[in-house]
Amino acid sequence: MRHGKYPFIIGFLVVPVALYVTFVVWAYIQAFYLSVYEWSGLGPVTNFVGLGNFRKMLDDTTFWQSLKHNVFLLVLLPIITVILALVFAFLLNVGGGSKGGVTRGVWGSKVYRIIFFFPQLLALAIVAVIFGRVFGPDKSGMLNGLFPDSWSPWLFLADERYAMACILIVLVWQAVGFYVVLFSAGMGNIPTEVYEAAAIDGATRVTLFFKITIPLLWNTIQVAWVYLGIAAFDAFALVNIMTVDRGGPDGATSVLSLMIYRNAFEFSQAGYASALGVVLFFLTLTFAALTLRVTRRESLEA
Amino acid sequence: MVAPAARPAPAPASTVPLRRRRAKPDDGVVTVGRSRTGTVLANTAGVVFSVLMLFPVYWVLNTAFKPADEVLALEPTFWPTSPTLDNFISAFKAPLFLTDMLNGVIVTLLAVAGALVVGFLGALSIARFSFYGRKAIILVVLVVQLIPFLSLLIPLFLMLQSANLTNSLIGVSITYLVLILPYTVWTLRGFISGIPRELDEAAMIDGCTRAQVFWRIILPLTGPGLVATSVYGFIQAWNEFIIINTLNSPDKQNLMAWLLQNQTTRGTAWGPLMAGAIITSIPVVIFFLIIQRNIATGLTAGAVKG
Repeated sequence: MRHGKYPFIIGFLVVPVALYVTFVVWAYIQAFYLSVYEWSGLGPVTNFVGLGNFRKMLDDTTFWQSLKHNVFLLVLLPIITVILALVFAFLLNVGGGSKGGVTRGVWGSKVYRIIFFFPQLLALAIVAVIFGRVFGPDKSGMLNGLFPDSWSPWLFLADERYAMACILIVLVWQAVGFYVVLFSAGMGNIPTEVYEAAAIDGATRVTLFFKITIPLLWNTIQVAWVYLGIAAFDAFALVNIMTVDRGGPDGATSVLSLMIYRNAFEFSQAGYASALGVVLFFLTLTFAALTLRVTRRESLEA
Repeated sequence: MVAPAARPAPAPASTVPLRRRRAKPDDGVVTVGRSRTGTVLANTAGVVFSVLMLFPVYWVLNTAFKPADEVLALEPTFWPTSPTLDNFISAFKAPLFLTDMLNGVIVTLLAVAGALVVGFLGALSIARFSFYGRKAIILVVLVVQLIPFLSLLIPLFLMLQSANLTNSLIGVSITYLVLILPYTVWTLRGFISGIPRELDEAAMIDGCTRAQVFWRIILPLTGPGLVATSVYGFIQAWNEFIIINTLNSPDKQNLMAWLLQNQTTRGTAWGPLMAGAIITSIPVVIFFLIIQRNIATGLTAGAVKG
């Protein structure tokens, strides 16, 4: 297949490469360029400030607060989601025992799979609107409506102590179904004989889970961890729509992506926003690289 | 098939009394952990979790079919006592709802169609040819999926502005195309790699040109992959609202943006808002139910197996 391949390669790749050079590479070059200017977002870009925007960040309490919230999500979102998804994927695939030599999930596992995936289909905009009602701070809110009448209504998102936890719950709720399906697919690739053999040797479900499923699924878990970490660095949509005063109360739910958006399109601080974007870019890539490196282990072939 | 009689006896370590197993002689089940309690626990956990997952969705449906006074009632009712379609009607009649719905359809179809064509050709060249820079392209495809898109919003806005493509459906379509392209290329690459090269070679020996091989052999065999990626792309593009909200004015936005606008401007009209949310979600749910059997294949074809 050597003869005349270059016309094909060039013809096939010219559009995607052009798109990426324009929309990603060139866009990032522009973002880096803008990050060293003080610029409102309108008019000529002239006021070069060097690393001024980055120095400004160091003194910006909102920045540190936002970073703290991103780290909060970064630590908890992957752990909770991966554990829940693993447990349920395990139940759906091998929790129900085996029949005629075929390991199977708990009763109704096909229905569960659809149910768990369902939140993934809803747009974040819709999820945010729905959970705005779930966490409604008065009796018309869903949770407050369920609580006994004698309780005074919980504030949820309006309480700065719990607002971030509410965001985390919604993120987990939305993400978990996707990872159940992802892990299920991975578990489907593990030969059932492995489970059968272990079961005959007397392994309990718990043993199967820790000694077989997790090691054989490690690569998938790794990928999931990276995806979830990236979701934790974003979280813009939910915070923007759900929270009091967008990022409030009193900055209790501000995240970096929200800062970028508001500085760029509301506070006329496009230069500062670009600098924040550069920081977010490096944070995300560092996280991804670190995760893949730290969690690397000899891959086990099934 | 294993005949029931040949079924392995419960292992001696079992704590389950033998007679309970005999009570259902034909279920043919050797429970992996051999504990009924475990099975009950597993099923209970599944049910409880499903309820948690579904409850908010049920609440949306419940609200959407309630008349306005019932929605705001302090005592919540778990079933609309006098179900009504008023909320759906008022959503359809609301300003810009139909316009934004049509915008969403146009933008989504353009983006998905574009991504499929561009992505299929890109995936073909990565999967079927070895050439200088191939590894770099693969790396870029992967890294692009990782970077936070929000930090590109300013340059994106500036670029589209200078090309006169802000407040235009074309500008948004191109952006969405770029957004869903990495996944499309990566997944299709997985599907194409799964087609044996011997097929290509056999066809070429029989006199096919290379272009015919791509068109007549690889394209049809990639069918399921094309379906899976287009559904994924559809969901992404249909559900996106940050970009369209930033680039376009309300009459050039989609239903997600419409929903958010209406949340802020008509704060307590929950009924029509939830009805709007339902209408907005229907296309995605339908697509999902059509392909839900294949969703795992689509997700994992390229994403997991590198």
